[in-house]
Amino acid sequence: MSDLDRQIEQLKRCEPLKESEVKALCLKAMEILVEESNVQRVDAPVTICGDIHGQFYDMKELFKVGGDCPKTNYMFLGDFVDRGFYSVETFLLLLALKVHIIISWSSRYSVEICMLLLLWSIHVQGNFATFDAGARIVHHLTDQGDFQPDFKLITLYQQVRYPDRITLIRGNHESRQITQVYGFYDECLRKYGSVSVWRYCTDIFDYLSLSALIENKVFSVHGGLSPAISTLDQIRTIDRKQEVPHDGAMCDLLWSDPEDIVDGWGLSPRGAGFLFGDSVVSSFNHSNNIDYICRAHQLVMEGYKWMFKNQIVTVWSAPNYCYRCGNVAAILELDENLNKQFRVFDAAPQESRGAPAKKPAPDYFL
Amino acid sequence: MATLKEFAAAAMGTQEKSQANSNSLQRVKVYRLNDDGKWDDQGTGHVTVDYVERSEDLGLYVIDEEDNETLLLHRITPDDIYRKQEDTIISWRDPEFSTELALSFQETAGCSYIWDQICNVQRSLQFSTLNSETFHSMNSELRELPAVELSTLPLILKTVSESGIADQMRLAELILNDQDFFPKLMDVFRICEDLENIDGLHMLFKIVRGIILFNSPQIFEKIFGDELIMDVIGSLEYDPEISCVQHHRGFLKEHVVFKEAIPIKDPHVLSKIHQTYRVGYLKDVVLARVLDEATVANLNSIIHANNAVVVSLLKDDNTFIQELFARLRSPTTSAESKKNLVFVYFLHEFCSLSKSMQMVQQLRLFRYVMQKLDLMNEGIFDIIADILQSPDKKLVLTGTDILILFLNQDPNLLRSYVPLLGLSVKGMITDFGEDMHCQFLEILRSLLDSYTLSGAQALLLIIHNSFFYAAVMFCDDLNNVVRDNIIETFYDKHLSQLIDVITASCPDDVLPRSSSKSSGLAERVDTHNGVKPVILSNICELLCFCVLHHPYRIKCNFLLDNVIEKVLTLTRRKEKYLVVAAVRFVRTILSRHVSQLYGTDPPGKVVIYKSSVLWHAIAYIWYHFMRNMELVRDTKKSEGIRNSGHGVSFKQFNDAELHKGSQIHMLVFHDLGGVKCTSSWKLSVLLADEHLINHFVKNNLLKPIIDAFLSNGDRYNLLNSTILELFEFIRKENLKLLLKYIVDSFWNDLVKFEHLTSIQALKVKYEQCLEQCGAKSTGSTLDPRKRNDERALDKEEEDYFNEDSDEEDTASGSHTQKAQAQSVSPNGVAAGYPSLSPRSGGLVDYDDDEDDEDYRPPPKKQLETPEEDEGTSESLRMKRKLPSKDKETDLVKKQQLGKHSKPKESVYAALCSTLSHAVLPCTKAATAMHITPLDENKGPVEESHKENDPVISRSSDYNSNSGEENHREKDPAGRSDCLHSTSENGQIIGDDGPLIPPPKSSPEMAVNGS
Repeated sequence: MSDLDRQIEQLKRCEPLKESEVKALCLKAMEILVEESNVQRVDAPVTICGDIHGQFYDMKELFKVGGDCPKTNYMFLGDFVDRGFYSVETFLLLLALKVHIIISWSSRYSVEICMLLLLWSIHVQGNFATFDAGARIVHHLTDQGDFQPDFKLITLYQQVRYPDRITLIRGNHESRQITQVYGFYDECLRKYGSVSVWRYCTDIFDYLSLSALIENKVFSVHGGLSPAISTLDQIRTIDRKQEVPHDGAMCDLLWSDPEDIVDGWGLSPRGAGFLFGDSVVSSFNHSNNIDYICRAHQLVMEGYKWMFKNQIVTVWSAPNYCYRCGNVAAILELDENLNKQFRVFDAAPQESRGAPAKKPAPDYFL
Repeated sequence: MATLKEFAAAAMGTQEKSQANSNSLQRVKVYRLNDDGKWDDQGTGHVTVDYVERSEDLGLYVIDEEDNETLLLHRITPDDIYRKQEDTIISWRDPEFSTELALSFQETAGCSYIWDQICNVQRSLQFSTLNSETFHSMNSELRELPAVELSTLPLILKTVSESGIADQMRLAELILNDQDFFPKLMDVFRICEDLENIDGLHMLFKIVRGIILFNSPQIFEKIFGDELIMDVIGSLEYDPEISCVQHHRGFLKEHVVFKEAIPIKDPHVLSKIHQTYRVGYLKDVVLARVLDEATVANLNSIIHANNAVVVSLLKDDNTFIQELFARLRSPTTSAESKKNLVFVYFLHEFCSLSKSMQMVQQLRLFRYVMQKLDLMNEGIFDIIADILQSPDKKLVLTGTDILILFLNQDPNLLRSYVPLLGLSVKGMITDFGEDMHCQFLEILRSLLDSYTLSGAQALLLIIHNSFFYAAVMFCDDLNNVVRDNIIETFYDKHLSQLIDVITASCPDDVLPRSSSKSSGLAERVDTHNGVKPVILSNICELLCFCVLHHPYRIKCNFLLDNVIEKVLTLTRRKEKYLVVAAVRFVRTILSRHVSQLYGTDPPGKVVIYKSSVLWHAIAYIWYHFMRNMELVRDTKKSEGIRNSGHGVSFKQFNDAELHKGSQIHMLVFHDLGGVKCTSSWKLSVLLADEHLINHFVKNNLLKPIIDAFLSNGDRYNLLNSTILELFEFIRKENLKLLLKYIVDSFWNDLVKFEHLTSIQALKVKYEQCLEQCGAKSTGSTLDPRKRNDERALDKEEEDYFNEDSDEEDTASGSHTQKAQAQSVSPNGVAAGYPSLSPRSGGLVDYDDDEDDEDYRPPPKKQLETPEEDEGTSESLRMKRKLPSKDKETDLVKKQQLGKHSKPKESVYAALCSTLSHAVLPCTKAATAMHITPLDENKGPVEESHKENDPVISRSSDYNSNSGEENHREKDPAGRSDCLHSTSENGQIIGDDGPLIPPPKSSPEMAVNGS
């Protein structure tokens, strides 16, 4: 059992990792995330999940409903942290799962299999980019003499053929400023006694992708649209490695909300992002040739909600939000043919919630 | 109702002081609508929701605060007659009085409280009509508490759990009045526990939980006392919803260790410490899932208050502090180091607790600790410096945490202790193995931060003026000196240290992709020199920070030592995030360059005229400063700033002052709540921007980035986006030299990526530039090598600015407007650009304003909010006033001098910042783009230059061009290669031969010529 396997087991029991483990995990994650696009391509089938907000045990319910992570292809639309009691464990588990899938590749498969799969992928996908990437890998292999699957190689390989089995998209809470207000910062401070873990995690936030496109047909983003973005191509030139700005395209993608009564664009009561109406969504979907937009960001008591004649759907995955809202949660499963199936679930029962929520350090001076 | 509200507010205000402490939440004024449709003031009193005598109905009572008479009695009805207005008023049409009544609350909290109660009562009334008993049966019993016995537990539980919000206050009161309630309840608890009476224990759990949820501070005070708290926690172990019994008391008694670094003798302090921990435990563990936000907030405030008390009591305990620091200073032998650790940890906790105190108190505490230690000839920083040098990494990191706490308080305390800087730099490049050490980055940032001021010490004043939002900071001179010193030291000694780490860790020529050994994931740390990539990325981040905060250093340090080139060696690293970091560093330098030319951020690009150069540059700095202070990030705040109406007046500058390196003093005055202040601004003028771009071109600095882009191939990843964004930036900001350089040098490679919109746009822009250049290339020739004198530099500068504005102009498509403006002039001087005589003294003349409007770039966002428009018009109004303010300035100066005769009192801000403005050798390229100068103007303006008069107008820049001609030999190549960046050493980059089409007349030219 590798370190990472052990860490995942530990995280699944809702026990936080050691600082040093967090550091190592974050560094690995950074290398993976830096390879992701601002609009991450995702293959179906995929299960789309909305806000989690540190509700660890409810996320475990989610996995029960949706299937275990490597078997089911997941996409999380951001807001992993804040509000709930287990932001640290929640985010680290998701991150570890992401890293794990890629790393397990490197150890499990021998050179030959790698090469075969690679050639196959080139054959199947057949485009130049893939070929180019493949050639690179081959070049890399021959150059190395004794071949041990390289991290980057595998990442590359992943991109060539194996899409990530778990895609993490940045939400508005994945930000230094917001987490200092809504709990993640305090939680790190309480659980580790220093804010180093918070720093590492927030550094990782900067690398998270901004949106995803499923089979070129479903655009997924945390918040919504931006007046500065009319085509998906425009998202490409956002330099996402930064704190969520207070305005501009990147901010809007993470902050905006659809609103019935707004025609076109409206000021958002949140103070960041915009409200956007039916016409905006229609023209966006039309010009980008997508079926609908899938987003999170807003509490929906029924777990999900369609708007604007099924052109945009909100998915919310934090049941009994803040442990008191009494809402149900939902995830959206898309099969190979992009057929939709919402799965609604409830908060985890009290018994399964394990030991005390926020155990303080057992010793104190003051 | 608005009038009512104002009226009420005024009336309240008069009585506020006398009554401030008495239950202000419930304080209301009662109004009644008379027949004339006016609101009669019925008096002021306190409102409660209580039972109407001899009935079971609840009513609103208002008791007069002076004579205790009942001002108002209103039976709450289930009908929907109540309205809440403006957060402080509840009104309704009273069926009994058959008129409108209104309660105007002193505080919004009180209003919403009573409003909630009314709603509750209504709800239960509506409910009781359906299901009559429950509510009523309980009400009657509320008159007194049942005796606390095992047998009455069900009754108590019923009372507690079924009480509506209206009853809770009463119930809490009853419980508080009964001294024996809790002791008895806890007795019952112990009995139940002895008897293992699970039902009883479950009931007790619910009772205690219910009472805690009343959220009454007085009750908290009682049950968190030393005598009761453990039993209270004990009773909460028996949650009927959780099958297994929790062992909270066991944990608290057996597992929790109360560590004492130095024994605390004061029992009061000890009790507070323990209480704090237990309340925290109760909140976070025992009742974590039960508590609502309001209760959590109350518990938190208890904890905060306790912490503050503990810290301040300990602080005043002289022997305690002395002993602590004596121990801390004791030599760190290896045997003792563990003991020492305890004190360091204690110090850490002590310092972090001080966060609970108010800002001012905190500051006092930290100053106090410093003083104490100074008396002992032993600075706390010596201790921390020792800690930082300790071999124990954990200890070092705790030391950094303490440092950060001090830094957050008052960075200047630390700046005065220079060795810390070196230690931090050392820490930053030290490998801490598994441990985290990003703290050093933070420490260095705080130390080098030239903007942020420690909270309590700085009074921040915000000004909005025509183009910009501005902030003026005050801090005593000393602090600035200290800060300057430390920044100086950093650049002298440590910058190169950091850069060396980068160069040493990057492969020289070999491309890492083939050289690096890939050796599995776990060991894939680094092959070069053992420096961890994280350290490199931290260094990169610090360098970006330096660029943003000490822009003037870009020239002195970053260009001279080829720092940029060295940092760019990072692009050869295999870790893609390091490559990204290097690209971002370049982007930061470039954006710094551009944003200093003119405020690229809202509120709009500013076209800069000769003498207003400084003015706008200052505007930008202020704006930027504000951004750093995070004050103008959203429109609401800037709205506030805009309305704050402080005045600014500037000393007038003239040309002579605009030379590179000269310093300008200016005064700003403001009126903050009656306190009048001036601040004197020292501004270093460093005119050096094209130089930077030139440096890029000359040293082929973008090559590593382009290489990285190419080798990244078609992959759409972060690196791809970052570099594309850089291209977009260069294109949008119209950095022609770079544009030219990129396309000329790298197009053969980049053409493969032409399918990307950004790359395509880059090329299009490039071609546009060539065309424009061609259109204007009839004019003079420039050779920057020949231009050594300052005069020429100034002219260059002008050209640059005008040049740019022309570009903007073109971009915003206002050719025609401009042409019209120019054509008005009969004598060939464009009417739009009159020159200001030195006497007029204004910084910006009226006529320019229109031009400003012309040059406003298309809005960044598609949405232009109405506020922005207002802002513009307002800004214009303000601008118009400016010239007349000149005399005032002097007046004000005198006044201010009188007021602040003592230098210490006069608040002072010296913001030494770069007003970098393009002046340098290579403005040529920019100039070349410029509209052809009007030769007719040459004479007069030349003279004005010689006189060193402040020349503000646009016409001056035409002249400056012609002036340049006089200073220069004709360049045989003419302007045809104007896009070619000609650097100081004459190296021409790009070898595509003449690119410029034959000169054509532009519309402007036609007009000008007429």
